[in-house]
Amino acid sequence: MSAVRRKMSTGRVFGTLVMYIVGILWVLPVLWMVSTSLKPESMIMEAVPRWIPAVFTLSNYQGVLERAALFKWLLNSVIVAAAATFGVLAIDSMAGYAFARISFPGRDVLFMIVVATLMVPAQVTMIPLFFMLNEATLLNTHLALVLPRLGVAIGVFMLRQFFLSLPHDLEEAAAIDGASRYRVFVQIALPLAKPALSALAIVTFVWAWNDFMWPLIAISTQDMYTLPIGLSTLAGYYGREYGIQMAGAVIASLPVFVVFLMFQRQFIQGIALTGLKG
Amino acid sequence: MKFSGFSKRVSDAIAGYVLLLPFLIVLVVVVLYPLIQGFYMSFHNWGIFGDPVWVGLENYRQLWTDNNFRSSLWHTVYFVLLTTPPLVILGLLLAAGLNYPFRGRTLVRGMIFFPYLLTVSIVGIVWRWMLQRNYGLVNYYLGKMGIAPLGWLAEARTAMPSIALATIWWTIGFNLVVFLAALQDIPEELYEAARIDGAGPVKSFLRITVPLVRPTTIFVVIMQVIASFQVFGQVFVMTGGGPYGSTRTVVQYLYEQGFRYFRMGYASAIAYVLFFIMFVLTIVQWRVMGRREL
Repeated sequence: MSAVRRKMSTGRVFGTLVMYIVGILWVLPVLWMVSTSLKPESMIMEAVPRWIPAVFTLSNYQGVLERAALFKWLLNSVIVAAAATFGVLAIDSMAGYAFARISFPGRDVLFMIVVATLMVPAQVTMIPLFFMLNEATLLNTHLALVLPRLGVAIGVFMLRQFFLSLPHDLEEAAAIDGASRYRVFVQIALPLAKPALSALAIVTFVWAWNDFMWPLIAISTQDMYTLPIGLSTLAGYYGREYGIQMAGAVIASLPVFVVFLMFQRQFIQGIALTGLKG
Repeated sequence: MKFSGFSKRVSDAIAGYVLLLPFLIVLVVVVLYPLIQGFYMSFHNWGIFGDPVWVGLENYRQLWTDNNFRSSLWHTVYFVLLTTPPLVILGLLLAAGLNYPFRGRTLVRGMIFFPYLLTVSIVGIVWRWMLQRNYGLVNYYLGKMGIAPLGWLAEARTAMPSIALATIWWTIGFNLVVFLAALQDIPEELYEAARIDGAGPVKSFLRITVPLVRPTTIFVVIMQVIASFQVFGQVFVMTGGGPYGSTRTVVQYLYEQGFRYFRMGYASAIAYVLFFIMFVLTIVQWRVMGRREL
């Protein structure tokens, strides 16, 4: 018995060790990014790379902030991601509730259509959207980046599932007391849906934050760039100045890092619930 | 009584549509209408200036013989094949390893998951630097093992595998989380029973974990193929489709045709072919892998 246990525990120790190694391997590129960003330009390309800079400097950070409108891009990203998140939460919770709790003619057909749109790759609608927004002179605006995000049906689907799983009792009691459908939705169902709403909020925010192809197409001036687009231009302009690029990358990952530390649980729940890759 | 039942049904129907309306309007404007409009455009010569000209199936016919499109399809399939197996298998193995309790488990989970939160341009510029020919970290450590330095992103042979490597690093955390959620539904007693019967960790992984997460695995594979088929950002930032078009994928080609050369009709045809292929792939995968469940 004790021999078996000892064998198990060496297996466990080995497995744990492997996990530590994989974990360290996985953060190495991030550490290298931070390390490079703190080195003076002349010490970045060395025959023997140094993990800990021989000389620490913030000149790359100063450089990237002087040469690129990093904070402007950050602000654009925040505005777009926040607006998309609020918009999605508002319209998806209403639609999800209607699909889950109210019976009306045509509901099942409409729901099928909504779910079917999840199969449509974003690239298919991008070209016509580009034309539509061009006609409406809305290209190169924040709205142009928010609008397509609001049409993604995954949140409706996810919130419908959530509302279906709630017990009916509370809502029925309120209805007997004479509350309208709208009041039941706002005052009873919505507060109960907080965990699902916060999970949806955090994944929507991160997806909108990381959007790449659509902003690349819809935005044409530097002052309207979102962070991902702005950063990708750094690689073009400062091709061999890795210090500048890494400093930009560090600044851009800080907000995400903070958000992750604060909302780790909701985020992981959001992925488990939607199971969709951005 | 009968009347009040009827009036309740009417007010319910009104409430239903009122709540649904905002989303439906947006859906029509940004998804359904563009979906039809794009199909219409694909039968035209459609630029940004001048009137569109109806060309029938000409765009599709041209695609059929367009060598750049054919090679972009092949590059995309190559990328899907390079990324899907490691992302699924490694994702499941890591989830199994991180499902056992040990000190620092949450931290290790976070370390592996974190890159998923980085935006694709960060992933691109960090890996361009890691893979740089003369001073890149990858070549330095390979050199220590006696491997001659390579221009990973500058050579046609290695460019796509390099993009695949960066992608695996970037998105494995996503699959890890999905698998972890599935593993938590497996009752602990099953593993204990197996242990009492003398099964080691490898055996219980193969006999218990793998069969029980099968529905999740099917789901992850399908989602992964869909995501990998649409690869764009990594390619755009790391190689721009080069060298010599060797990493130009379908979406990269669509972007070039539509938004660099403004051949919108042609680009729409590419989008529809992409849609069609992904649709068929998804159905086939459901049929093949889901057979035992469905």
